[in-house]
Amino acid sequence: MRTSGGSVGPRGVTLLLVTAVVGAVLAAYGWSGRGAGPAPGALGGPSSTSAGPRSSPSASPDGAGSAGRTAAKAGPLLGSQSFAAYSFLVWPGTPSSAARTAMTGLSVSVRRTGSGISVSAGVRGQPQGGAHSYPGGARVYVVEASMGDEAGTSDYNLGDDAVVVTDAHGRIVQ
Amino acid sequence: MTPDQAQGRSAVRGAARPVAPPGLADRAGRLSADWSPTVGRLLLGLVLAWFGYHELVQPSLWTGYVPLVSASSLAVLLVLAHGWLLLVLAVAMVAGIAVRLAAAVAVALVLEIVVSLTLTTGLSDLVLRDVGVLGLAVCLTATTTQRLVLRR
Repeated sequence: MRTSGGSVGPRGVTLLLVTAVVGAVLAAYGWSGRGAGPAPGALGGPSSTSAGPRSSPSASPDGAGSAGRTAAKAGPLLGSQSFAAYSFLVWPGTPSSAARTAMTGLSVSVRRTGSGISVSAGVRGQPQGGAHSYPGGARVYVVEASMGDEAGTSDYNLGDDAVVVTDAHGRIVQ
Repeated sequence: MTPDQAQGRSAVRGAARPVAPPGLADRAGRLSADWSPTVGRLLLGLVLAWFGYHELVQPSLWTGYVPLVSASSLAVLLVLAHGWLLLVLAVAMVAGIAVRLAAAVAVALVLEIVVSLTLTTGLSDLVLRDVGVLGLAVCLTATTTQRLVLRR
């Protein structure tokens, strides 16, 4: 078969059909896992309607915009998670240059509260959501799976961004 | 000396002069002319395959790029359709199947990305990088000679 854009033989047609089927299978896989975010506390993704911030996976949402209270519960070690390699410490201390790049387009503020910390995270330029309290929280990380989606002060893909809070032992505070 | 004699002497001189072998630059240019379209096609196919695969397996990471549609199931569906098309185009590119047609569709897709990114976020290094990919796709729409293609 000849097209104006080149020739397509039977093998070519077969290969394209096989690719189409494989693509459909991958699409079904992607659709089935669409609810699974890249990391806890993802800042974007399908479950957030306007790329708004969520600070932690199971942090109870604060009802009227005031600081939410969560029961301190140590989760798995951050270092054991698949996204550990993409996690950058932003608090306490001065963030590294990589952490600053990972924070592009995001606004994260941390405040000490008694035995823990209070974290509010959001998208720069948008109204920041309420703060979440993390009793026992000691460190705040920004997860950025792909640095390639940052340019200047913009982050084009908030779906791979997240904020994770750990305790002093590196366990994720849930 | 008559003009004929001069011409004959000149012809003899020309015949005696050994033909210089093509220089390194000539050979490199010929090699480049032969293989550049193929290399460009394979590399563009690689780019399309990479993005297509990742859009298919993790569509939620890409919904932020969907213009005019906020993150929702519709955005995920659009990303999946986009990823599927990219994957098919990638295989067509790599296998050399209807390369110019595949390149033309790739031009439309990348142009849409460049325009929507420019309108929503302005010119940036990311957008300019996509402009480079767009240029490669445009070049491939006009390339008639390709190597390593699946002809049958």
